[in-house]
Amino acid sequence: MLRIENVTKVYPNGSEGVKNVSIRIGKGEFVFFIGSSGSGKSTLIKLLMKELNPTKGRIVINGINTTDMKRSQIPYLRRNLGIVFQDFRLLPNKTVYENVAFAMQVIEAPRKQIRRNVPTVLSLVGLSHKAKAYPNQLSGGEQQRTALARAIVNNPPILIADEPTGNLDPDTAWEIMQLLDEINKRGTTVVVATHAKDLVDVMQKRVVTLKNGHIIRDVEKGGYSDEA
Amino acid sequence: MLKKVVIVMRPSSIRYYLKEGFTGLLKNRLMTVASIATVAACIFIISLSVCIIQNLNTALKQIEDNIGIAVFLQDDLTSDDVSRLRDEMLDIDHVTMVTYISPSDALESIKDQWDAADILEGFEGENNPLSHTFEIEIEGIEYQDQVLNDLSNISGVRNIRHAKTETDVLLKINKIMGIVGIIIIAILAVISVVIIMNTIKISVYTRKNEINIMKYVGATDWFIRWPFIIEGIMIGLIGAAIPMVISWPVYNSIISALYEYMPVIKNMATLLTGYQLFSKLIPLSLLAGIMLGVLGSVSSIRKYLRV
Repeated sequence: MLRIENVTKVYPNGSEGVKNVSIRIGKGEFVFFIGSSGSGKSTLIKLLMKELNPTKGRIVINGINTTDMKRSQIPYLRRNLGIVFQDFRLLPNKTVYENVAFAMQVIEAPRKQIRRNVPTVLSLVGLSHKAKAYPNQLSGGEQQRTALARAIVNNPPILIADEPTGNLDPDTAWEIMQLLDEINKRGTTVVVATHAKDLVDVMQKRVVTLKNGHIIRDVEKGGYSDEA
Repeated sequence: MLKKVVIVMRPSSIRYYLKEGFTGLLKNRLMTVASIATVAACIFIISLSVCIIQNLNTALKQIEDNIGIAVFLQDDLTSDDVSRLRDEMLDIDHVTMVTYISPSDALESIKDQWDAADILEGFEGENNPLSHTFEIEIEGIEYQDQVLNDLSNISGVRNIRHAKTETDVLLKINKIMGIVGIIIIAILAVISVVIIMNTIKISVYTRKNEINIMKYVGATDWFIRWPFIIEGIMIGLIGAAIPMVISWPVYNSIISALYEYMPVIKNMATLLTGYQLFSKLIPLSLLAGIMLGVLGSVSSIRKYLRV
């Protein structure tokens, strides 16, 4: 589903984001990328989204080599990726429903399909009753649920979340993790970059640990703290 | 797995573009007004220069047209000879009109001009010293030398008179006016594009989050661009229409005021009427406005599309 092969990213200022990193992630897997700030996990996420291009190596997503992809093809790659950020990135002047529908509109989905899919995902993330609310009327957790709904409404095979619980209190963070697990159980491959040590411990998923741009550990059903 | 890039617009998308384009205009009202005002000011200044340059050009052209060539024929010609010569002269390239003036017509005209009928009495008929004359008009003074050369090769021509210095001066003015006009308009156009781009840039900046999100959920660049293009078109159209609507009547009243208070102008040249000028200026301005608007929009969002 997702292959990162010997990827090195050197930024224009000479600093290295990641060095010679290789990871394979299978269909339906749930993977945590962990590590302190500057460990390279954000770089890795940006490489996956093709916001950055690798200096060396290649990245294959869903069978497609994204490394030498034309710029005009990037939107079609991103339709295979649901993306969630720490800061939610909702449009403040659109309601919850409109924010989610927006993701379908911009890929020119038929209106019928929009009217069918949006309520379905809203009920999946438990926000049916808030469909008409605006982001500033929502709690942090509700905003992130909206962002999650937007990320999955187009049924992408892969969901990438960059510090999705970074701005949330522990209880709400736990709810979001459960929701990610739920989405994963429905068949979506989920990649989460996070600092949330205790959540990672509880989830017992595959954990890839990064340090100074290298992978120093990659374990199945791991925790954050059983680091050597 | 990746879909091919198809450049087909779904009807629902066109509706979306229009809706987003117009809501964009209304939502960012302050920036919309600022952009329209900028376009209007730029178009106004450019069309003002076009008005002045165009009028100077027509005036010049009229002065040029008054500079003719006079051809005097030898005395011993029959009327057949005269009409044959007339045809020969009409055949010369760039000659547009040949007017025949008989010796008696010429005498009458001199009498009129000098108010000297009594002095010139006795020069009529057989005694008329004036020759058969052709007044020749040509397409433009730039052809004068060529025509003069051809005329001198015709037998039966006694003398040719033309205004050499005036022609040279006019030719020079013509050339300078053309260059200066182009330079002025080009400078104004460049300044306009820069100002308009900066104004629209601010309006796009306020929506960079929206563009960013669209990029992440997989919107194509064209899908993101269209609403901005529609906004640009509207800003350009309105921005160009305003100065046109205002300046047409203003121009008309300026022209009639000029004729009224400086009648001397009327003797020198007829200025362009509002219709003559604005029937060309309006479509050009609207086109320029649209181009400025679209250029401003598209170049402003370019930066945010690179995500």
